[in-house]
Amino acid sequence: MRDRTVLHIEDNEYNRKIVRQLLSRTSYRLLEAADGEEGLAVAQRELPDLILMDVQLPKLSGLDATRLLRADPRTAKIPLVVVTSFALSGDDRRAIDAGASAYLAKPYSPRDLMALIHRFLPEN
Amino acid sequence: MALISSPLGAPVRAVARIRASVHVKLLAGFLLITLLFIAITAVSLRAVRETARQTDLLDQAQVRVGWSRQIEHALAMQMHFTSMALLAQSEDSVGLILRENNRFNDTLARLETAAPPEERALIQAIRVAQDDAMATVADIANAVRDRRMADAMTALRTRQEPIYQKIETLVGSLVAAEDTRMASLRRSIAAAQARSLRQMAGFAVAAVAVALIAGFVISWSFILPVREFHGFLSQVAEGRFGGSVAVPNRDEFGALAERMNWMSGELRRLDDEQRVAAATLRGLNDRLELASRAKSEFLANMSHELRTPLNAILGFTEIMLDELYGEVPPNLREPLVDIQTNGRHLLRLINDVLDLSKIEAGRLELGVDEYSVQEIVDVVHASLRSLAIEKGLAFSVWVAPDIPPARGDGRRITQCLMNLAGNALKFTRHGRVEIDVRLDEGWLTYRVSDTGIGIPKEEVENIFAEFRQVDTTITREYGGTGLGLSITKRLVEMHGGRIGVESELGRGSRFFFTVPLHADGGPA
Ligand SMILES: Nc1ncnc2c1ncn2[C@@H]1O[C@H](COP(=O)(O)OP(=O)(O)OP(=O)(O)O)[C@@H](O)[C@H]1O
Ligand SMILES: [Mg+2]
Repeated sequence: MRDRTVLHIEDNEYNRKIVRQLLSRTSYRLLEAADGEEGLAVAQRELPDLILMDVQLPKLSGLDATRLLRADPRTAKIPLVVVTSFALSGDDRRAIDAGASAYLAKPYSPRDLMALIHRFLPEN
Repeated sequence: MALISSPLGAPVRAVARIRASVHVKLLAGFLLITLLFIAITAVSLRAVRETARQTDLLDQAQVRVGWSRQIEHALAMQMHFTSMALLAQSEDSVGLILRENNRFNDTLARLETAAPPEERALIQAIRVAQDDAMATVADIANAVRDRRMADAMTALRTRQEPIYQKIETLVGSLVAAEDTRMASLRRSIAAAQARSLRQMAGFAVAAVAVALIAGFVISWSFILPVREFHGFLSQVAEGRFGGSVAVPNRDEFGALAERMNWMSGELRRLDDEQRVAAATLRGLNDRLELASRAKSEFLANMSHELRTPLNAILGFTEIMLDELYGEVPPNLREPLVDIQTNGRHLLRLINDVLDLSKIEAGRLELGVDEYSVQEIVDVVHASLRSLAIEKGLAFSVWVAPDIPPARGDGRRITQCLMNLAGNALKFTRHGRVEIDVRLDEGWLTYRVSDTGIGIPKEEVENIFAEFRQVDTTITREYGGTGLGLSITKRLVEMHGGRIGVESELGRGSRFFFTVPLHADGGPA
């Protein structure tokens, strides 16, 4: 069985680096994308097992990308976590409405992120 | 008005138009009524006097009738004594006859002075006849003295008796005349009484009518302008300025109407000015609001931009502390924790400032949903318990049993309670902090009590304002910017509730906020 794949879509290099560091010690395979369009393309091509999507992305916003992924039957069922701005801003509701499986408010604790990944995608 | 077109409208207007003060008009009205009553009194007095005069006349006539009877009596006595002289054949009776004659003459004289002129002739005739009679008596007396009895008898029979009869007839007609006069007097008295009764009744009716009409007309001449004023003032009260009152009065009411019209114009002018000013202000306000909205919008959009680097700072710190990069040298652990503390503080600041800017821009919306009070209290308790333990404070919570699920923005309520409980722990050195929630008639009251430093009375009003802090030394120790309470207050108000505090300096504080069990939110 191939390793579980996680797709991280985030425009900030340092935040990508943190996730990269977090997953470096696990068996997960990590894919990265720096904007909405790229993220959408990678997801449709690679069909990852979990998608982490920042809410605010260049070219195509995280919410719009989420909606497109949900509309595509190949990606419709993939667990998708939206990283929102602020728990109280209303982003969370919009994320769930767009079709996200869960949301995580920024700034998040890396520990919480790992817990969330484990919840949707138990390591094998 | 209906009255103005009625027959009394014209006099009412006429009275209103009289150029005299209300005082004078009222006085004139009362004077008119008084005069009418004086007139009635005069008429009745005259009637009484007339009746008295007629009664007097009647009395006099009666006296005269009495006198006439006396004359008749004296005459009879004369006859009697004359006959006695004859019978006794002596002159002794002549003295008595003379006495009767004197009485006769006296009475006749009185009658003459009292009698009305038309009776004078009759009385004169009686006097002539009496003189004749006396002459005859003298003749008879002479005959008796000379013992000429036959002559005396003849004289008596042929001369004396006819004279006496004549006198009697005359007196009789005198009495009859008086009787007629008395009868006519009685009739005229009755007639006069009936007449004066009619007059008095007529006068009284007329006086009452005039008094009523005068009262009606005068009072309406006052009431009409008062009604006009009432209508006018109602208009003003409703905010319709610029109307006017038109009253015919030239008295105080007229003057008042003039002042009112002047005032109305002035109000109109002020209202117009105020309208222009308000419009200007509104324009200015709109522009200001637009500017402030743009500013807040900018801040809100900054939210994510600010958070992204902060996420990296806090993330790297945490994975370093979690030794994902390998073991942390002991001397680096403390500065790493310092970075984390300050990063978290910066995050709270960003959150508060953004919250406030959103609230101010009217862009913060409550996510109204069902929430559990117990859950909220538990979350707050759980997240602050470690701080309480660290400071050695007793920290307990109590939620009234049987509180049904509430409606509102649960996370905002959590934020509010977190702010209050966080403050309580922050500003308390010894003792305890307690949270309790109770439900009373559809209102939830969240309370946070502490045994901390308390708040000076003069500061209680201010602490809900932005950036207001009583003592910055504590803040330096624990952090804080003075935004917590102001945000809490706004959030509570957006729920339709209110916030308050009771505090005693050095002894502790009790903060509370009350929100409806079912809050529907909406702009505060
Ligand atoms: N429980 C309390 N006991 C004593 N003083 C208090 C208490 N709660 C608030 N205050 C006073 O009110 C001020 C304003 O409180 P607020 O929560 O708005 O600001 P802060 O706590 O100083 O900063 P922030 O909440 O933004 O971190 C505080 O600085 C403090 O002086
Ligand atoms: Mg505070």
